[in-house]
Order: sequence, then structure tokens, then C-alpha cells
Amino acid sequence: MGYLGLARRNAWRKPLRTGLLMVCVAIAFLIYGLTASFQHGSQGAAGASEDLLGVMSAAGRGQSLPMAYLPRLESAPGVAAVAWMTRLRGFAGAETNVIAVSAADPARLAAVNGPELGLTPGLMAALNGARDRVLVGRALAEAQGWRAGQRITVTAFDMPGAAGSRDWPFEIAGIFEGAGPSTDTYFVIARYDYVNALRARGADSVDAFILRPEETVSSGELARSIDALFANSAAPTRTQTEKQFLEAFLRQFADVGLIVNLVVGAAFVTLLMIVINTLVLAVRERRFEIGVLKTLGFSRRRILALVLAETLFIFAVGGGIGLALAKGATLLAGASLGLVLAPLILGKAIALILLLGAVSGLIPAISAMRSPVITSLRTR
Amino acid sequence: MTEPTPDAPYIALKAVQKGFQIGAEAVPIFTALDLTIPRGDFVAIMGPSGSGKSTLLNMLAGIDSPDGGELRIGSARLDRMGESARSSWRAHSMGIVFQLYNLLPMLTAAENVELPLLLKPLAAKDRRARVEKVLDLVGLAGRGGQYPALMSGGQQQRVGIARAIVSDPALLLCDEPTGDLDRKSADDVLDMLRFLNRELGKTIVMVTHDPRAASCARRTLHLDKGQFLEERRAA
Repeated sequence: MGYLGLARRNAWRKPLRTGLLMVCVAIAFLIYGLTASFQHGSQGAAGASEDLLGVMSAAGRGQSLPMAYLPRLESAPGVAAVAWMTRLRGFAGAETNVIAVSAADPARLAAVNGPELGLTPGLMAALNGARDRVLVGRALAEAQGWRAGQRITVTAFDMPGAAGSRDWPFEIAGIFEGAGPSTDTYFVIARYDYVNALRARGADSVDAFILRPEETVSSGELARSIDALFANSAAPTRTQTEKQFLEAFLRQFADVGLIVNLVVGAAFVTLLMIVINTLVLAVRERRFEIGVLKTLGFSRRRILALVLAETLFIFAVGGGIGLALAKGATLLAGASLGLVLAPLILGKAIALILLLGAVSGLIPAISAMRSPVITSLRTR
Repeated sequence: MTEPTPDAPYIALKAVQKGFQIGAEAVPIFTALDLTIPRGDFVAIMGPSGSGKSTLLNMLAGIDSPDGGELRIGSARLDRMGESARSSWRAHSMGIVFQLYNLLPMLTAAENVELPLLLKPLAAKDRRARVEKVLDLVGLAGRGGQYPALMSGGQQQRVGIARAIVSDPALLLCDEPTGDLDRKSADDVLDMLRFLNRELGKTIVMVTHDPRAASCARRTLHLDKGQFLEERRAA
């Protein structure tokens, strides 16, 4: 039995109490793990690019931009490549099964965003095989049970075809994987020429241009110069990075970051109060034994370290269980939720475990440290 | 800390004062207590309740400090030491045996004995070897894995003695070591203390109410109202 072994034995002297404390800690870190995984996952904005720029109408997301802007964007200083995209939002089967289709020029999309989306030459060749072919993201394909070669129909909410029907038939040419687990792959890539030719209105317009800046160019400066370029035109633009766009998009529904911080903060504050209260009582119950240890020669600092080690042990086990459950949940949740428990989150969680363990243990540890030996020995 | 002269007593109290504050009233225990104990002695201290026996033992153990006077044990001036220095002194120079054993219930006998060794820079293997050796010495070989709750009072007190001597201190303080034991167990414990004094040269100071226990000591001092009244030496 070493020094840490003594702390562990102290912690386990009341297994039920220690077990319940660990459950509290585990639940708090499960909440933290899940909310942080959501923020960091493909449903959040953490995986979005801070380099790619989206040029949209300053009048709002529902307004389109004319394709005629393309030459001016291509010739703007600092622009390495330009693609464009029109959104077709609809559903497959039930109306609640919402599907997002981005209609783009395949070659230009590959040039601007190919590596991030995992658009391989094979996929591009398959997409170019016919105008009604589409590529489906891995997360969406898994959620819908779709596979390459399958024919699907997406019923648009507000984009009828030339014949008046809102049904858009597509053939799945392949599945794109995305560069990493944080990449959003819950959408369909269709061919712009196909959608543009068949839609009843808005021909030759786009919802957004996507720009890849030259490597030496700052995204922020380029965005400002683009918006200045079209400031006095009929359709002024608003240019943002992909990350800014997604964050603004998510904030339309709620400030996810604020909600997550409030939920996690409330969980941790509650946890701290429970653990501190319980540990203060636990240390008070053990004042006599602490007096015995001091009589044997344990210094005030060693007693402080012993109680702190005990709380850190409780937090390490509870926090570890909570994070393991969060990891399991991210694996079981399926691709549609896009939860990603990244190493950065784990690192922050470990730092939080150490911090909260130390803060929780400090009050009982100082109380144990300061208790005079004689007084402690009289508490039997 | 000053070095004692070669013929200086091992324990020396000079004009030690100690009192307690009870509400607004100051209650003196010792006004000018003198005591000398040579190295290797075995002293029993007897006296009625409230005579100051436990207070004296607490001061000798360094868990309480005198209000005035001089308290020297070996080369250590306990009356001048701070809390941290007294902790370190206790860890290295003194072992204590309690009346009610004061073993930690969640630890096995061997783990209880090992506690003082956690304060020394020893490898786990060396700690285990020393624990086994002292458990063997107190007649508990092979019982190290038992928890205190499953042991008799006599066995628990032997674990307490093993814990007190495992770090090989020169001084052993005993607070009513037989006070909670039956006759047979008490005799075993007293035999053990005699052995530690005579064979291993430990200086022992024992507080007791029991004349039979006191008769094992080389000297018996009677304390009353803060003063030593008489001294009896063993034949």
C-alpha cells in the first residue's frame, strides 16, 4: 500500500457514498462529453473551414445572386478558385425526412472544396457520367440506408421543375466520406447544370459562390474586398467564412454555444456543491483518524495531499466513466447526429477533472489539515 | 536544536508549565514540572484522573506543547519546534501505543503497521519486509492480511505496538496500553514492552492506572496535582 493506495482505501471506506459521488461526476462529464461532441461534430461549426469563403446575398439567405457575378469574382485579386451552389431543400418519403441537395459544378466544387469533402477522381468521374447523378455524404447514406447505384426521388419544398412537379429523381453515383469525422456529410451533391435546366424559376442564379483564397491572402480581407466590389450593385453581397456562416446559421435556431456552456456550467456547479458538502462531512467523520495519522508523523501538508488525492481519485474514476459513456454514445448515436469526441475535448475534460477535483477537495482538505491533533483525538 | 552533553538525560523537562483555558478561567496543570529520564529507561507514570498524565504524554509525543519551560528529548527541543518540525520528529523518533489501539478500520493489520513507513523513503518491497519482521516480533506472523475488526483486543494492541516500533524509534510512549485488555492479553502486552525495553533498548514511558502494569517498569512515578509526589524503583 503506497500513499495513493491509502487515499484510495480512504475513498472506498463507504462504498455506497463514494459510488454515488462517482455517479454524480460521471453524469456531469457525460453531459459535458455529449454537448462538447455535438459542438465539435458535423452538426456544429467546429469542423467548418475558416479559409473557404461563401458569397451570398446581403438581403438574406433566401435571396439568390446572378451567375453574371462569376467573371468579376474570378478576376478579383487573391481568389484562387470559385465554385457556385444552389440549394434544393426537400424530403425523401415522409415530409419530416428532410434532405438538403447542393447543386454545383462538379469540377469547380472539386477544385474549391474537394479535399475537405473527400471528392476523389473516381467519384467525380461517376458524377460526370450522367446529369441526374448525385453524390451522397456518408452520414446521410447511412441514415437513409442508401447505396451507390440506387435511384432516389427528392421532393422539393419550394423548387418545382419545369413541368410543375416538385419531384426530382436522382441516381446515386457514389458516397463521399468527408476529410474527417467533423466534416458535415449529411447532404447530397447534385449537378448544377441538371437542376438549373429543369427548375421552373430562378434559372442562371445561385444561392452562393464559394471561394478558395490564395494561400497568402487573408480570408477576412478578401471577404471585405468582395463585398466592396458589389456594394453598389443591384444585389449586394455578404461574404463570410464557412465557419462564420455555420455559426450564424446555428444561431438562427439558438445560441448553441451559450446553451451548452450554461448546461455544463450548471451541471458542474451542482456537482461541486454536492461533492464539497459530502467530502466535508466525510472528513469530519474521520477527524479522529486524521488525528491518529498526525500523531504517527503525517504532516499538515501530507494530510492536505491525502484528502486532495482522495477527491482526485473520485473525480478521475467518475470522470473517466462519464467520458467513456460519452464516447460510447457518440459511437452508438449514428452518423446523423454527427457527434465527435475529439482529442481536444478529452484534453479539456481531463483538465476539468483535475481542476474540479482540486477545487472540491480543497475545503475539506484544509479543514483536515488545520484540525489540531489533540482536538482530533478527542472526537472519538 | 542543540546537542546535549554526553551524560545528559535522554528526556529532560525543566520548569515546564502547562494550563488550559476553560471559558474565562485559566486552569493550570503544571506550574514548574521537572523530570529526567535516561536513555533505555522504562518509566511508568501513575496518578488519579486529572493529574496531568495524559497532558504530559501528549507533550512528550509532540502533539501538545508546553506554555513555558524546557522540554528536550534527545537532541530535540520540542518546546521550540513548530508544528511541521514536530511532525517530522514524531515520524522519525517516537512510536506511540494507544489504549484503544486506534487502528484504521479500512486497512489490514499489515497496512496499519506500514503507515509510519509511508513517511520514509523506502521502496514497497522494503516496507513489506519490515512490516513482516515486526509482525513476527509481536507474534502475529501470517496475520497481516486480517482486518482489525476481526482481531481480538490483545491482537489489535500487538498490531498497535508493531506500528509503534516499525520505524525503529528510540522512544516508545504508551497511553494505558493494557487498559482495555483482559488479564492474559495484558500480560502478553507487558511482556512485549519489557522485551522491547530490555532486548532492544527502547526508552519507554507508560501512563497507566494499573499497578500490575506499572510493576513491569524500572521506575514508577506518581503524579498528582501537577507534581511528581513519589518515585518507586523496581527491585
